[in-house]
Amino acid sequence: MARKMGFYEDFGLKLDLQPVVTDQQSIDSLLAGKGDVIHIDLLSALNLNRDSTVVVNIAQISQKSPIWLVGRKSRGIRSLQDFQGKKLGMWRSGSNLITQTFLKDHNIQMEIVPIDWSINLFTQQVVDVINVMQYNEYHQLLQSGIPEDDLFVLSMDQPQYNIPDEGFYVRADFYQQNQALCEDFAEATMDGWTYAMTHPQETITEVLRIMQEARIRANSAHQSWMLNQMKDILMANPDNFGRLSKTDFDNALKIMQQTGKITRNISYEEFYPRAKPR
Amino acid sequence: MQNRDEDRTLAYQLISFVFVAMLLVFFASILVTRMLYRQIILNSQLDNMRHLAHERVYLLDGIMSNVEALAQGSLNLYLGASISDQDFMDHLQHIHSDNPSIHSICFIDEGFHAGQPVVMTAQDNQFQKVQIEGKDYQFTDWYQIPTISGRAQWIEPCFESDATNTLMISHSMPIFRQESITGVLRFDIQLSYLQDVINRNTSFQVGNSFLISSTGTFITYKDPALVMNQTLFSLAQEYNDPDLSNLGYAMVNGEMGHLYVNGRSSLGQSWVYYHPLRSNRWSVGIAIPQRELMASVNIILLIQTIASVLIFLIVSIIIYARAVNVSKPLRTLARAADIIGEGTFDTPLPQSPKSFEISHLTQSFSAMQKSLKDYITNLKITTDEKNKIHGDVIYASEIQTNLIPKNSENPFGIKDLRAYGILEPAGDIGGDLYDYFMMDQDHFCFVIADVLGKGIVAAMAMTMVSTLLPSIAPYHKDSSELLKKLNQFLCSNNVESNFVTVLLGILNIQTGELQYSNCGHMPLIIRSIELKHTRYPETHSTALGVFEDLDIGSSTITLNRGDEIILYTDGITEAQNVNEEFLGISGLEAIIETLPMPNPENTARSILQAVHDYARGSTHKDDITLLVLDYKHPGFNT
Repeated sequence: MARKMGFYEDFGLKLDLQPVVTDQQSIDSLLAGKGDVIHIDLLSALNLNRDSTVVVNIAQISQKSPIWLVGRKSRGIRSLQDFQGKKLGMWRSGSNLITQTFLKDHNIQMEIVPIDWSINLFTQQVVDVINVMQYNEYHQLLQSGIPEDDLFVLSMDQPQYNIPDEGFYVRADFYQQNQALCEDFAEATMDGWTYAMTHPQETITEVLRIMQEARIRANSAHQSWMLNQMKDILMANPDNFGRLSKTDFDNALKIMQQTGKITRNISYEEFYPRAKPR
Repeated sequence: MQNRDEDRTLAYQLISFVFVAMLLVFFASILVTRMLYRQIILNSQLDNMRHLAHERVYLLDGIMSNVEALAQGSLNLYLGASISDQDFMDHLQHIHSDNPSIHSICFIDEGFHAGQPVVMTAQDNQFQKVQIEGKDYQFTDWYQIPTISGRAQWIEPCFESDATNTLMISHSMPIFRQESITGVLRFDIQLSYLQDVINRNTSFQVGNSFLISSTGTFITYKDPALVMNQTLFSLAQEYNDPDLSNLGYAMVNGEMGHLYVNGRSSLGQSWVYYHPLRSNRWSVGIAIPQRELMASVNIILLIQTIASVLIFLIVSIIIYARAVNVSKPLRTLARAADIIGEGTFDTPLPQSPKSFEISHLTQSFSAMQKSLKDYITNLKITTDEKNKIHGDVIYASEIQTNLIPKNSENPFGIKDLRAYGILEPAGDIGGDLYDYFMMDQDHFCFVIADVLGKGIVAAMAMTMVSTLLPSIAPYHKDSSELLKKLNQFLCSNNVESNFVTVLLGILNIQTGELQYSNCGHMPLIIRSIELKHTRYPETHSTALGVFEDLDIGSSTITLNRGDEIILYTDGITEAQNVNEEFLGISGLEAIIETLPMPNPENTARSILQAVHDYARGSTHKDDITLLVLDYKHPGFNT
């Protein structure tokens, strides 16, 4: 909506969107200098900085963890303990570290089946539990004929594991050279989100139009669900709208260090330079 | 007013009645027809839908079973015999070429082509072999579902991994080697091929066919915008339509049957028949809108309505024409009746109407006309006679009135007496009598009598008494003797045997001695100057005119100066109030006690007024007669 409403142009920015399928493709594009800004989850971004500061956060979209673990009650999944020994369809990249940490902390052993985006392994009963985004795949399950009251849902939105998801990142050197541009981009983007949340019908219509042009499966009920859930995720901490809080950063870094993904110390200001007083 | 008359015409009423009756029959007929036809057509269409769904299922299952068999045969060939990679590729190429339903074939195995997947597809009728780069395919449904589940499965539609972006469904089989899965054989069918099959016309076409996948996703539908974008459940959410959800659950659960969807979606207001495929968990639906289902019923109802209106119009015209024809002699008869009613009894009546009822009515009316004419003639004669009799009665009443003495200050010039009488007959003439006269210079005779009954006979009896008494009185100084003579006369001349109650007194005006005889009459009351009254209940015989040898006695009392004699008939004591209660002698005495100083006229008028007040509102009527006398009243002499 920021692009449609001309918010980027208002800041003198010219936006070129590049389609990708996986997060890794985004990261590769950024590191290769083909793109300037990417949209990945917080843990993946921290992972990029495990040895040195490669990327910095310029805007934090998600303010809480949207990850849910879902099983079917009719197939015997009624509590966390029922996960024991079952097959879990889990994203092979991105924020799966939260789920892994959670299961390890609760001493739950599961057979992990790495997946990309499809829910069909779950609907075809190939896996017993699947991780889903609250705003996306969960609703796809409902739209595939699984009654909501048949679903057992475990949200990662709980202390220690509530790591925010998506944010915008640029290379650290790019930020040093284009600080104002990055901040303008962040501001225009969040203006776009604000407009989307206050103009839901217009937003849904526009998104449906774009998806249909790109021949991507879409329906208005699902887009409406997504927008409502994103509003919940974006406004989970209204004081930090569009910003990465130190608490969230610290929690994310702690998980990365606990799991041995990162051994060095990374400062909040180093990862999120917009936190520095200007 | 004219409109109201028209509303009451026979034609109008008949047509109105027929209209209401036909309207009721029409509505009942429409309802029954609609209900019966709707059920018949629904059953018939559901039957057609079932046949069509079976046909579509048969076609789709045939295609998919064929693909399954080809895939299994190829796999058996690959695993069962020592076949070179090139020969197996040639085999797959032949299968691809010989089966237009197969869009592409993908084969991956550890020991084949260095473990790299090979996809065979046709582009512009040229067979091509396409390499899949990288290992991302290992995270696709078509690879993961068979390798993890260990069984062959049909995969939900997805886009071809080549650049064509073709939508396909795939039958994906795991390759087992020594109890471990080493690869996948995938046969793809282009979705558009299945869409052509399900949309293909057949010998009979009913409603719209559609196909949904195991997740309720529209694979084919008349509205292409829904295909691969919407599921039955997303559509249910969008239109808030629980019927669609129920349909979705029934179809993805592999059930078979029909359901009415009531919402506003493109499947809304439609009957849907659904049937699962055998090959996978997909389901075929046939939808027919309710309006299409009811279209033929509505045409039948329209024809029925038009026919009913025409029948009504024709029946109305016939009824109107017949009613006008039938009612014409009635109107003529009515006009004749109006003229007869005005007194022209010789008015001719309409002749020989065709209708039996009207003819019968005319005959009856003619008979009534004759009877009426005779009756009026007789009535006129009777009325004349009655008027004549009434005139005679009025004349008799005048004579009767003249027979009783006129009230005067001092009757017969006697200064010691005052008298005042009132006779108020119930009808024109009455049976009561009062009279007084001088028998000689010292004796004053007064009488009051009541003849049983009313009317002419009583009046005649009264007249006889009234004329007889003065004529025989001079010869009889005793009241009992005088009344005996009267009794004998009445007994011998009273043909109707009416008896007469009489109270007769003879007052010596010099001495105040009063001799009187009461023959069955009301008691004599004497009121003194001190306003005290005395009732003399003694009777000296029964009424006169019944027994010829009646023995009659008499009593004698001496009046004091100022005594007032009050005589009255039973019309006073038998006066009734609205509750039909008699006034009685006690009531009369109560009235007398309220009266002022004796004065015959005041006393008589006051008693009469009080009696009228008492009887106000009562329908009972009787002759009322009062005679009040006072003797040597002090005030009178002074």
